[in-house]
Amino acid sequence: MTSDPIVFVVDDDASVRSSLKFLLSTVGLQVESFDSADTFLRKKPAGVPSCLVLDVRLPGLSGIDIQRELAARNIRIPIIFLTGHGDIPMSVRAMKAGAVEFLTKPVRDQDLLDAVRIALEQDRARREQEKEVTDLQLRFDSLTSREQQVISMLVSGMLNKQIAAELGTAESTVKVQRSRAMEKMQAQSLVDLARMIEKLKSPSQRAS
Amino acid sequence: MNVNKLETRLQEGDGLLQAFFENSPNLIFVKDRQSRYLYANKQFKNAFHISGEIRGKTDDELFSAEQSAAFLAVDRQVLQTGLLMKFEDVVLYEDGVHTRIVQKFPLFNAEGEIYAIGGAVTDITDRKREESALRYSEENYRLVVETAPDAVISIDEGGAILFANPAAVRIFGYDPTELIGKPLTVLMPEFLRKLHEEGFSRYLATGQRHINWQGTELTALRKNGQEFPVEISFGELSRDGHKVFTGFIRDISERKQVEEMRAAHARQIAVRADVSMAFGKEESLKTILGECSEAIVRHLDAAFARIWTLNDDGTMLDLQASAGMYTHLDGSHSHIPMGQFKIGMIAQERKPHLTNDVLNDPRISDRAWAEKEGMASFAGYPLSVGDRTIGVLAMFSRKPVTPETTETLASGADLIAQGIERKHAEDRLRDSERSLRQLTETIPQMLWSAEVDGAIDYCNQRVLDYTGLSAEQVRGAGWMKSVHPDDIGKMEQAWKAAVSTGMPFQYEFRGRRAADNAYRWCISSALPLRNQEGRVIKWFGTVVDLHDWKEALQALQMTQTELARVSRVTTMGELAASIAHEVNQPLTAVTNNSSACLRLLAAGNLQAEVLRRALEEIVADGNRASAVVARIRGFIKKEPAEKNELDINEVIQEVLVLAGRELVENRVLIECQLTKALPLVLADRVQLQQVLLNLIMNGVEAMIAVKDQPRSLWVESRVDGSGDILVAVRDTGTGLSSEAHRVFTPFFTTKANGMGMGLSISRSLVENHGGRLWATPNSPNGAVFSFTLPVSSGSPA
Repeated sequence: MTSDPIVFVVDDDASVRSSLKFLLSTVGLQVESFDSADTFLRKKPAGVPSCLVLDVRLPGLSGIDIQRELAARNIRIPIIFLTGHGDIPMSVRAMKAGAVEFLTKPVRDQDLLDAVRIALEQDRARREQEKEVTDLQLRFDSLTSREQQVISMLVSGMLNKQIAAELGTAESTVKVQRSRAMEKMQAQSLVDLARMIEKLKSPSQRAS
Repeated sequence: MNVNKLETRLQEGDGLLQAFFENSPNLIFVKDRQSRYLYANKQFKNAFHISGEIRGKTDDELFSAEQSAAFLAVDRQVLQTGLLMKFEDVVLYEDGVHTRIVQKFPLFNAEGEIYAIGGAVTDITDRKREESALRYSEENYRLVVETAPDAVISIDEGGAILFANPAAVRIFGYDPTELIGKPLTVLMPEFLRKLHEEGFSRYLATGQRHINWQGTELTALRKNGQEFPVEISFGELSRDGHKVFTGFIRDISERKQVEEMRAAHARQIAVRADVSMAFGKEESLKTILGECSEAIVRHLDAAFARIWTLNDDGTMLDLQASAGMYTHLDGSHSHIPMGQFKIGMIAQERKPHLTNDVLNDPRISDRAWAEKEGMASFAGYPLSVGDRTIGVLAMFSRKPVTPETTETLASGADLIAQGIERKHAEDRLRDSERSLRQLTETIPQMLWSAEVDGAIDYCNQRVLDYTGLSAEQVRGAGWMKSVHPDDIGKMEQAWKAAVSTGMPFQYEFRGRRAADNAYRWCISSALPLRNQEGRVIKWFGTVVDLHDWKEALQALQMTQTELARVSRVTTMGELAASIAHEVNQPLTAVTNNSSACLRLLAAGNLQAEVLRRALEEIVADGNRASAVVARIRGFIKKEPAEKNELDINEVIQEVLVLAGRELVENRVLIECQLTKALPLVLADRVQLQQVLLNLIMNGVEAMIAVKDQPRSLWVESRVDGSGDILVAVRDTGTGLSSEAHRVFTPFFTTKANGMGMGLSISRSLVENHGGRLWATPNSPNGAVFSFTLPVSSGSPA
């Protein structure tokens, strides 16, 4: 997250592409543009926060098709659609599929810049969250299976005594395993630990 | 002796003589030479009613002149000849005419002189009468016997023939004299001889008769050995203490034959009557044929009789009836294949099979059975109608089948065949009538019929259900109750016109439906049924509720109008989208560039070089937008539908521009072969654009699936053979396949999101311009859509 974010622009019209690049550059954004869906999809995923400004009407695959294709490839890049005319059903479909914004050409510069800022922020947050989950998973994986058992029981609200009875060991042993697990998980408190476990339970997500 | 002496003796003397004379049944008299009566006995006097003294009287005094002359003539003869005169005469007595034998004789004296005439008269009137009768009778008998057609034979007590009349000779075949003296038994067949002899001798001994003497039927034997039936009557009479028997023998061969024929005829009539009666009953065919076979058994003395009918496909004979010793219908004879066994062969050959020698007949399969049951004969007849076989009638009998029986069977078979055929026809007719009636009652259609005068005489249940009227109410002109008051008058008029002219009737009217008490549009149609002379004898009609259909039709028409409009709007909408995109692209670039400049300017960071480049782009994009607007101006401006003289190539160019983005997006290569300086057409520009756009877009869509080769769309314009303008749009897409003929049908579509209206509307638009639009396959793949437009009359070409 130290790297600069990138805005990808896909539009078949060269002057539109260059004018968008020009506009976005005025707020210091790095822009990479493509003239078709194919060329964009052939690109390797960026390791930095990014978003996609996508024309709905494209030769070959349409903007909506690209959105679907990205979702199928589990590439979670925020998308801002640009369209020549306000096609409500299409915009609804795009928004439902997770688009950040659906803007009508010619677009107001502030609307576009706001949308891009929101999109990049979303992507950054997502990347951070994914990073945190990945860390937590690494820490959790470093626990012994008994430690994993103990903290799972802890966050479900069981007392040391109960856990010891359940696992058939001494309460003192549970206490040792608990403090070791909290240490490994870098949890400041039981509440902290509970939040960590909760995050781990949400479906694991792959970084793009 | 002289007269005196005689007189004395007669009067007084000889008492004995007188006693004789007086008691003789004869008339006795004596006359003198002068024919004066000297004596007459009592009989004489009684016969002529003479009382008192007769002596000295003459015939003149006693009889008529005529008679007395006759008497005197005889007297004279006696006197002259001296001979006895004997003659018959006829004399009128008091009680009538008498025939007499008169004897007059001379009485001689000692000198040999005639001194008196004696007379004796025997009245033979009675004897004469008897004789005559007897002679007549004998003659008669002789005549009868001689000429009788019957044999008359007399025998003596020894049984030998005494007499045989000519008929006997003829009947028995002997010579006239041959029979006399022969024993009667020669005229009998062997088996009767002993019987006769025993019976005859028993009778002679005891008087006990062993047969009836009056009209006994027996068998006789001709000389040639032929036996024949006779009827014998005989009697006996005694002559000279001997008995003579006389028999009358009648040859009854012919009568027997006639009787037999009559009986056969009666049997035939009986069989025919029973068969006819059976077929007259309202029974199943099986029952009827059962009765027929029973009649055959009953009247023709059959052991059993059976009837098979041929099945529908003519392959199998099914046993329908069996009477007599077998009555079951199952078993091996239940189904006989056509052409097999004796029954199947009779059916196939359509010829009767008759045999009186079943044991040696090759067609009789089960001889052991026939022998055990004592079967003597078999008769089988095909049941035929015209040249078709419909079954077989067959019987077995323990007696020989006579020609009369076969005749009866043949006639019975005929009758049964006709009966079966008629029954089938009746059944078919009944079935067809029933199904027709069922049809009229169950068909979901309102049906009615009317008399010649137009009065309704029948309405099916549908009509009654619909109108809520009863069968009685609807009759005659009652149906009008269910017609809307505003329609009654005209409808009645139309109906009356149809009835009077015999023309088919059809009328749309509002009828009241009972179910919701609402008037609904209906159409009633009727056709007249005519007889052979062409005269109308009946009317048959229908009523159809058109209401829903009419409403649907209206709705459909509205929908089509709407669709046409919507389609136009949709096309326009798509065009608008396309135009918006075209214009928006440069506008977007202009806006973006301007906004960026403004931002940089606001940040005090706008470099001249950057600004110059941005402005250049803005100008370029501005020009681009205005070019787009210029291109579409014609399309937008001439939107109201009106026909103008147009250059079709201009229209094609405009549409290609409009479709340009679609073509580019789908990587479709356009190839134009537009003939320059074409004559103008008189057309609505927008409508032509719509047609062209539709054809081009169809071509593009048809080629989306094509991946492995270039997508090319040819657009061609030229003058065709008939001088019309022809425009063709040719693609290399998926083609028309087998559904080519349907592509112009409304709502037919091969596209997932298509409405199927494009080509349908396009065709009607072209046709509205007097042209044609059609599709043909393109080689090697794809389709060609072509349309023609007539050249404007004002066109210089």
